[in-house]
Amino acid sequence: MLLPMFDFHEPFSIQEALELKKTHKENSKFLAGGTDLLVHLKKKLISTDNIISLSKVKDLARITKEENSVIIGACATMSQLSSSPIIQENFKALKAGCDNLGNHLIRNRATIGGNACNASPAGETLPALLVYDALAILENTEGKKEIPIKDFFTGPGKSCIHTEEILTGFRLPIPPANSGAHYIQLGKRKSSEINVVNVAAFLEYDPSTLKITKTRIALGSVAPTPVRAPKAEASLLGQTPEEEAFFAAGEIARRDDCLPIDDFRGTAGYRQAMVGVLTKRTLATAFEQAQGLL
Amino acid sequence: MKKIINLTINDQSHEIAVEPNITLADLIRYQLGLTGTKKGCDTGDCGACTVVLDGEVVNSCLVLAVQANGSVIETIEGLATDEGLHPLQEAFVEKGAIQCGFCSPGVILSAKNLLDKNPSPSEQEIREGISGNLCRCTGYKKIFDAIESQSS
Repeated sequence: MLLPMFDFHEPFSIQEALELKKTHKENSKFLAGGTDLLVHLKKKLISTDNIISLSKVKDLARITKEENSVIIGACATMSQLSSSPIIQENFKALKAGCDNLGNHLIRNRATIGGNACNASPAGETLPALLVYDALAILENTEGKKEIPIKDFFTGPGKSCIHTEEILTGFRLPIPPANSGAHYIQLGKRKSSEINVVNVAAFLEYDPSTLKITKTRIALGSVAPTPVRAPKAEASLLGQTPEEEAFFAAGEIARRDDCLPIDDFRGTAGYRQAMVGVLTKRTLATAFEQAQGLL
Repeated sequence: MKKIINLTINDQSHEIAVEPNITLADLIRYQLGLTGTKKGCDTGDCGACTVVLDGEVVNSCLVLAVQANGSVIETIEGLATDEGLHPLQEAFVEKGAIQCGFCSPGVILSAKNLLDKNPSPSEQEIREGISGNLCRCTGYKKIFDAIESQSS
């Protein structure tokens, strides 16, 4: 399969990348890991005359800890995130997503920013970004802004990034003590697949009263974008974290918080049923983590 | 417009002019004539085009040749020496881990990269370590045995 002809640009800074984007506008694409972009170009699903490679912009590949949050550069790869002590320690659900994307060859190239900008409803890292309440950091030549990740996705393959903007990374608040989060994905096989359903859950509880004080649940592959499950989340507040409450939340998520479709990977009914199961399981594991058992 | 790139492949440095839309797989096969690197799907699904790029295994069909500028690359041709095949290659022969051979260069590079980083991988780690390399002769059992025989 031949790639169409294009001009190749290789900026060394974010500013330089933005200048190039300003010059070429819609007729250009940022290239991060390339594991989706190059495939789409080869299959003629998209076309462009200008490829702006981000691999030489070193600032985009950093993972840095600040006082209360961690900044993950958009070009951090799945392998890099999986082996990062900061991620292993604070964001286990995100690590689980990174560990399960594609296969070992893809994980060495695929980036978290690419996964988000590709905006697949089934994206592996996206439910975790949602439950950790990440902020997407967008920059243009004028300045930068941070927007909640739940407002980032606007449809399958679509995000709120403007033509002359770049996603430079994500800010993830460091989770408080007595909290945990987990991610499970279900596919036809364990590697190199596209998810049938993927779910992440975050749970924080008060050990003195043994009540749930905060929870976030995110569902993938069951709506046009990865989505939060607000009704299931609300049902858990003030509850005792135990099997019964987790099961009930799963039932609500399955019934009220998703709208899956039938396709060749699975039926809507199966997906809904699995939303129930995975919501319950991710919550249970998140709680074990919150107790310091994992 | 062609760009001049410099890269080191199997300890040999090259200065080559490439079009920006040529992948690393095509550069290796068609401009350098190293046809041990195979092209199967060309979309990053099969792993036949696996090469080691700066110490990491990648699908060379999903890397632009221009992106590899300044990199150190190892292909399957880099494994054998004057003394003969690499011990891992010997193990593949010994254990009958080859049928048609199309996936072998990719599988062997993935396995070598795994063993270089982790000399005694668990069963699960071996399976994960070659999970991006498809074998359609269904020879995974013998491939697994060959890799396991080289773990310390």
